[in-house]
Amino acid sequence: MKFSIPKGGIALGAAVAMLGLGASATYADTPAWCGPKKATIALLDGFGGNSWRRITTTSAKEEAAKCPSITDYQYADGQGNTQKAISDIKSMAARGIDALVVFGDAGPAVLPTLTSVYQAGKVVVPYRVEVGGEAGKNYTKFVGASFKDDGVSWGNWIKSILPQGGNLLFLSGPAGNSQGKDELEGLKSVLGPEYKFLNPAPFDVTNWDPALTQQVLTAEIAKNPKIDVIVSDFGPSLVGALPLFKKSGRSIPALATSDGNVLGCFWTENNKDNPDFKLFTVATGNDNARLAVQWAVAKATGGELPKEETFKAPNFENSVTGKPSAVQCRKDLPGDIYLSAEMKADEQTKAINK
Amino acid sequence: MNIISEQVDGRPLAQRAYFASLSREFVTVVISTAALVVVCLLFAPSSVTYGSLAGSLPFAAILSIVGLGQMLVVQQGGFDLSVAGGVSLAVVISTHVPAGSNDGLLPAVLLAASCAIAAGLVNGVMVGLLRLNAIVATIGMNALIYGGVFAVSGGIPRTTTPLLAAIAGGDTLGIGHSIYFALAILLLVTFVMKKTVVGRRYEAIGANPMAARAVGLHVRLHQTMAYVYAQLLYCLAGILLAGITNQPTAFQGDSLLLPSVAVVVLGGTSLIGGRGFPISTVMSAFFLTQLNQFALAVGVPYSAQTIIQALALGFGIAVYSFR
Repeated sequence: MKFSIPKGGIALGAAVAMLGLGASATYADTPAWCGPKKATIALLDGFGGNSWRRITTTSAKEEAAKCPSITDYQYADGQGNTQKAISDIKSMAARGIDALVVFGDAGPAVLPTLTSVYQAGKVVVPYRVEVGGEAGKNYTKFVGASFKDDGVSWGNWIKSILPQGGNLLFLSGPAGNSQGKDELEGLKSVLGPEYKFLNPAPFDVTNWDPALTQQVLTAEIAKNPKIDVIVSDFGPSLVGALPLFKKSGRSIPALATSDGNVLGCFWTENNKDNPDFKLFTVATGNDNARLAVQWAVAKATGGELPKEETFKAPNFENSVTGKPSAVQCRKDLPGDIYLSAEMKADEQTKAINK
Repeated sequence: MNIISEQVDGRPLAQRAYFASLSREFVTVVISTAALVVVCLLFAPSSVTYGSLAGSLPFAAILSIVGLGQMLVVQQGGFDLSVAGGVSLAVVISTHVPAGSNDGLLPAVLLAASCAIAAGLVNGVMVGLLRLNAIVATIGMNALIYGGVFAVSGGIPRTTTPLLAAIAGGDTLGIGHSIYFALAILLLVTFVMKKTVVGRRYEAIGANPMAARAVGLHVRLHQTMAYVYAQLLYCLAGILLAGITNQPTAFQGDSLLLPSVAVVVLGGTSLIGGRGFPISTVMSAFFLTQLNQFALAVGVPYSAQTIIQALALGFGIAVYSFR
C-alpha cells in the first residue's frame, strides 16, 4: 500500500475501512496482504497515554479489521512500565495469540522476550522504536520509521524557500534521542554549510515538553536576532512558544515540522500578521502502525508481503505551494488530532475522547 | 543576671535579632541573584533582555507559587512530594473539563480547587493527625492524585481554553499576568504570616511544636492545614501553567518537584521547620529560572548546561552553609 495517496484516496480508504468494520467485509475488498489462514493478532503498546498513541493504536485496529481472516484483536498498554510491557507480551503469547505487533518503547529491554516468543513460533513485528536484534533471528520483521527521510524532506523544503542559505534552529526531544540524530543526518545530507545551525549540536533539548520548549525558544529568540527557519520534530509543542516572537516585535519565521491540528489552526490564524511564517509539515506517522499490522497479518495468514519495509512519513502540508496539501485546520475538532493520518478526523476525535 | 537583663530587654532584643536575621536571609539571596544578573550581562546578555524575561518570568512566577506552597509545609517540619500530582491534576482539570469552551472554565477552576482541598486534607490528616512520615504519606498521595489525573484525562493533553490563555498567558503593561498572580500570593502569604495572629502562631508551632502545645496552641490543626494551603497554591500554579503553555501535557507537574524544594532551601527556610522566608523563596525562584535561561543562552552543549546549573545551585547552597 502506498502512503502518498491523494486526499480523495485517503477518504476512500477510510470509508472502505469503515465499511469493513461495520458489516462483514467481502473478499472483493480484501487486501493482498490478508491471506486465507485464520489468525489472531495483538497490539502491545509500551506507553499508550497520549492522543497520538490512541490514534495510532485505533488505526492499527482499523487496519486489522480490513482482513476477515483475523478472528480476534487484542490490545495491551504497558503504561510506560517495562516490566508490565514484558509481562503483557508473554501473557498474549501464552493466550495463544498468533501475531504480536509491538511498540517497543523500552528498546532493547524487551528484546529477550520478543526473541523467546518468536522462537516459540509466533509472528512478532516490533515497529517504530528500535529494539536491536535482527529479523529472522529475534523477531519476524522490524517496521521502522525513516526519520532520516523526514530530515531530507525538511532540508529540501528549506532549500526551496531559502536558496541562498540561512539561519536554522533545530529542536528535538530528550538529549541524545536517536530520532533527532537521524533527522539531523537527513537535514545535513541536503543542506550545505551556507545553512547555519544556531542551536548547540546536535539539537536543542526540549524533552518534547511544551513548557521546556517555551523556555528554550525564549532563550534562542533573545540570543539570535535572525532566525530564518525553525525545524522541530514535534510541531504542536511549538504553539505555546511561537507568540514569543510577537512579544519581541518580530515575525514568526518559517517552520519545518510534523503536523497536528492545533498547529494548522495556529498558522491559519497568524500567517497574515507574520509575513515570514511559512509552514511545511510531514505526517506525524500514525500510519506506521498500519504497515506493521500489514506485515504481521501477511505473515500470520499467509498473505502477500507488503512492498514497503520501512514507514516513510509522506509530506503533508506546504503553505508555499499548497502541495501535497495546503495547511489544514479543523477548528471544530480538538487540537490534538492529526489530519495527516489515514483515519478520518471525526473517528480520531472519538478515539481520543473515549 | 544575664537572663534577667535579657528578659527585661526581651522585646527589643528579639526584634533586633528578627531584623538582623531577616536581612541576612534576604541579603544572601539578593547578592546571589545580583551576581547571577551580572554574570548574565557579561556572558549571555541576551538572557536579560525584555523579550527573554517576558518569556521566562511567567515560569519563575509558577515556580514561586509552588515554592511558597512547599515552604508552608516545610515550615511545619513536613515535606510535600505530592507537588507533581497536585499541579498536574489542576492542569488536566482546567483543560479537560471545559474542553475548549470558555463557559466551562469557572466550574473547572472550582472543581480543581475542591480537589486540591480534598487532597490537602487527606495529606494533612495522615501527617498532622495520624503522625505518618510526611515523605511516605505524600508520595502515596501523589500516586493517588495521578490516578485522578488519568481518570480525568486518560493521560492525554488538551488544548487550553482561549479565556484561560488570555487570563494566565496574557500581559498588562508589558508584564505577564502570572507575575501579578505570584506577587499577589507573595503579599498574601507574607502579610498573613508576619502580621496576623494566625500567622504568628503558625510560625511559632513550626519552630517548636512542644512549646506551642504547652501554651495551648492547636498544633495538629495547623500542621494539617499546612498541606491544604500548599495544595491550593499548587492548584493555582497548575491552572496558570495550563494557560501559559498552550497544550500542556498531563504530567506537567513532574518537573516542578525538585525545584520546589530547591527554592525553599535556597530561600533559607530550615528543613526542620520554623520561620518561613516568602520573599527569599520567590527571589530564589527567579534565581533558578534565570539560571536555566543563562545556561540556555550561553549556547553550550546540553551536558554543559546541566553542569552549570548544578554548580550554581551547589554554590548557592554553600553560601548558606558557610555564613
